[in-house]
Parts: sequence; structure tokens; C-alpha cells
Amino acid sequence: MNTPPTNAPVREILVGMGHIAAGQAPQRMKAILGSCIGLALYNMERKKGVMGHIVLPESAGREAAPGKFADTAVPRMLAMLKEHGLAPAALVAKLAGGANMFNGSGPLRIGDANATAVADALKRAGIRIAAQDLGGTRGRRVEFDCATGNLTIQCAGGPARTL
Amino acid sequence: MNKQYDGGDEMQSALDELFASATHEASAAMCRWTNGLITVTLDQVREIALEEVGEELHVGDELFTMVVLTIGSEVGGNLILLFDEFNGRQLAASLLKREPGTELEWSELEQSALTETGNILGCAYINAITRLIGADLMPSAPYFIQDYGASVIEQAAMTQALTSDRLLVCQIGFRRKEQQLDWRMVFVPTRGMQEAMHRSLLAAP
Repeated sequence: MNTPPTNAPVREILVGMGHIAAGQAPQRMKAILGSCIGLALYNMERKKGVMGHIVLPESAGREAAPGKFADTAVPRMLAMLKEHGLAPAALVAKLAGGANMFNGSGPLRIGDANATAVADALKRAGIRIAAQDLGGTRGRRVEFDCATGNLTIQCAGGPARTL
Repeated sequence: MNKQYDGGDEMQSALDELFASATHEASAAMCRWTNGLITVTLDQVREIALEEVGEELHVGDELFTMVVLTIGSEVGGNLILLFDEFNGRQLAASLLKREPGTELEWSELEQSALTETGNILGCAYINAITRLIGADLMPSAPYFIQDYGASVIEQAAMTQALTSDRLLVCQIGFRRKEQQLDWRMVFVPTRGMQEAMHRSLLAAP
């Protein structure tokens, strides 16, 4: 059996709640979503991007854990990409999630609020949304492929779709 | 990084005691419901960083069959009973005294057997907490979900996430005689529930 070299980059990055991960081809970033939003910001030419697993719509001034809130996660993601010389105008966004689970009667219908807050934050930053898959009452497994810019989404028990 | 509950050693000990007592009650109820087949043990009461919830609770991107009870108030929370497909079918079959179902869709009877199990367990915990905090807690009817475990726990964590980057969870394990079963129950109380439990535990003689 071949053993991969120890300095090989991680091919698959799991993005947990409130976390932001950066990746580049051939890496893939994945998350399991319920009412949270998985947001990928990506530059096709450089094949680099970031993925955030956004939990709540507004930080209300809380500065810790910027990846947790839509209004702080988007600026943080843009800052991470800027460090790689990628300006907002060179990026596209793909997003998924925002389900209202538990028969749609979960706390505060947070999925809808998350989707709206992320869309607003992207608009303020001047980022174009290339594709999205939002709402519903089921969880989603999402995987963003930095090599292709594809966001593959699979709802529980359903077929995978690619945006 | 995980740690014990952030209310200090005394509070951790009091929470352990509370949930151990609730688990004893739940175990007795489960034993009656399954004719002595299944008992329940308290695995742990702990805090988990939000971003590590999926990994720490070992739910990853697996599909689970779940029963959820929601206590939908400020002093509330969610109880989630999780099974993989095989174990869920096995439990339903043993309760219905027949062979495990093989149809893709679960029958209404199978779903009912599992939701009733969730109801019995959930009510045992809710009764114990009700006695402690002296407030009426009204759980929803239990409902049956087949979904990613991480998605459901994420939704359950929302009210805690509003005020904290860490999640307090109580994990329960199940045994059939001496065999540990791959079933789990996770209780995620809201911040309001945690505060009510704090106050009551501190006031207890």
C-alpha cells in the first residue's frame, strides 16, 4: 500500500459550525448543514476560495468567532482572500443551506433569517451570487471543489446535484 | 477542545448528579417499555465547541433515523434520539415482535414504535428536570426524522448558539444486557434552561 507523503496538503477539509476554511485546487471543502449557510467565495482563475459555515444572521457587536455570523463572516472571508491578492470583484459566491427543520417550526425560523442576512452581506460587498440552493426542511451535505468551482449538494436520501 | 461544563466543578458535579438521576428514571421506564431488554446509561455531560459538534458527537455526514422532542420555550431544549438504519429497525422490530422491516420507507407502525420510545425516554428526563426547576415544561409530540445527524443537532443547537460559542450536551448510551448498542440520545438545553437548572441546583440544600 502506498503511503502519501507527510507534507501532502489535506484533500478534504471539514468546515464545522462557525468556522471558515481556505482552500485551493485540488482541495475540497465540505460541511453538513441544517439551518446554517454554507458559503463558498471563489476565484475561478486562481482556483482558490474560502468556505464559511455561518450559524446566525447577526453578530450584534460580538467580535469573537467572526465566522459564526453572516455580518462578520463575509468581511472576514473577503479579508482572507485579499491576503491572497484576490479582490471582491474577482470572486463569485455559491451558497446552500438555510433549512427550517423540525417541521419548519424550529426556533425563530433561523434558516430563512440566515439566508437573507448572507444575501444582504454579499450585496453590501458587491459579490455576485452565481448559484444557490436554500430553504426546505431537510439537511444538506455540501462539498465545494476548488479545482472546478462546483458546489455539490445532497439532501438526505436524495440525489446529489451540482451548482 | 472539549471541557467539562463551564460553571465550575461544583456545578459540573451537580449537573452530573441531576442527569444521573434522570437517567436512572429513564432507564427504569425504558426497561419497562422493552420488557427488560434495554437499559440506559449516562455517558457524559459536557461542553463542546460549536465547530466540533459533528465530530465530537460522531455524527459526521451519516444519515440517521431520529426522534426529536422539542421543549419550545425560553426554558427549553431539544432531545434527540439517534439510530442508524439497522439499529432503528431492530428496535422497532423487537417492540412490534416481528422481523425487521425491509421496505425503503418505514411503515407507520415502525415509526410509531420509535416515536413512542422517544416519548418515554424524553418524558423521563423532562419529569426529572421539571421536579428540579419547578416549572411546567411542555414537550412537543415526538417526531420522526431521517436526515443527517449533524444537520439535526445543528438545528437543536441554535438557541444555545445565540449566546454561546459552546454547546452543553448530555449524552446517553443504551445497553442490551451487557452489550453496548449503537443508539444515542443527545439533550441540548437552551441557555434559559441551563440558567434555571443553575439556580435550582445552587438553591438545593
